[in-house]
Amino acid sequence: MFNARITLPPQAKVGETVEVKVLMRHPMDRGGQSDGKGGTVPRKILNRMTATYAGAEIFRIDMHTGVAANPFVSFSTRAVETGDIVFEWREDGGATYTRTARLTVI
Amino acid sequence: MSFPISPRSKRSEAPSRRDVVALAAAGLVLPTLAGPARAETLDDLVRRVTDGVAPAAGGLTLEIPALVENGNSVDVRIAVDSPMTEAAHVRWIHLIAEKNPFPDMARIHLSPRSGRALVATTLRLAQSQTVAAVVAHSDGRYAVATAPVVVTLSACIDGG
Repeated sequence: MFNARITLPPQAKVGETVEVKVLMRHPMDRGGQSDGKGGTVPRKILNRMTATYAGAEIFRIDMHTGVAANPFVSFSTRAVETGDIVFEWREDGGATYTRTARLTVI
Repeated sequence: MSFPISPRSKRSEAPSRRDVVALAAAGLVLPTLAGPARAETLDDLVRRVTDGVAPAAGGLTLEIPALVENGNSVDVRIAVDSPMTEAAHVRWIHLIAEKNPFPDMARIHLSPRSGRALVATTLRLAQSQTVAAVVAHSDGRYAVATAPVVVTLSACIDGG
């Protein structure tokens, strides 16, 4: 059910501020909708996304039910060194998902 | 449009008769529960995240369309005037929709490593309302920006 598309500039200079765009694929069920069979769908959203780069957490968003399905998030970070930006999502129920994107710094 | 958006929204105007009877049977009912709960205003919701401090206006821009056809996905962009240095940076940005069943939509944590305080995301809006972005600066200041949004097709309608 989950997937994420992460967009980074192909390369960046040291100290340059780059924009990181993340498009997640997730229904972000807010809970309470009819499931068509007389019951209701439980809440199941991605409640947190963290991004870690060069030894520190650079970004975190705590999401609640007010975030759209298939959410888009963009933020900035200062290019420090060539390395992976590690994205981790936490879903209601305890599941976690991880993706990495490599930032090349020249 | 004052009907509860969802029976499970936990923001109903008053406790149901059944709840009150059950609580009374358990000896727990409080006099305040008997009357209808006062709806929280946007100001109350903002002050809850700022620990009661009245935030300053300005110092940030909240870009959100004034009229959206579909409340299921509303683009929002927040830019804060901040040098984003170790001494002066934005700690977090909190997004509030006063009339959503759960008004707290998201909290975005930034750090000096962000370089600039510019974030964007997509929100769900249950109905036409005022959206607020509350910014917490590293020196303890708070700032707020609000924007009215008219939603012609709302999100979070039951039975869908």
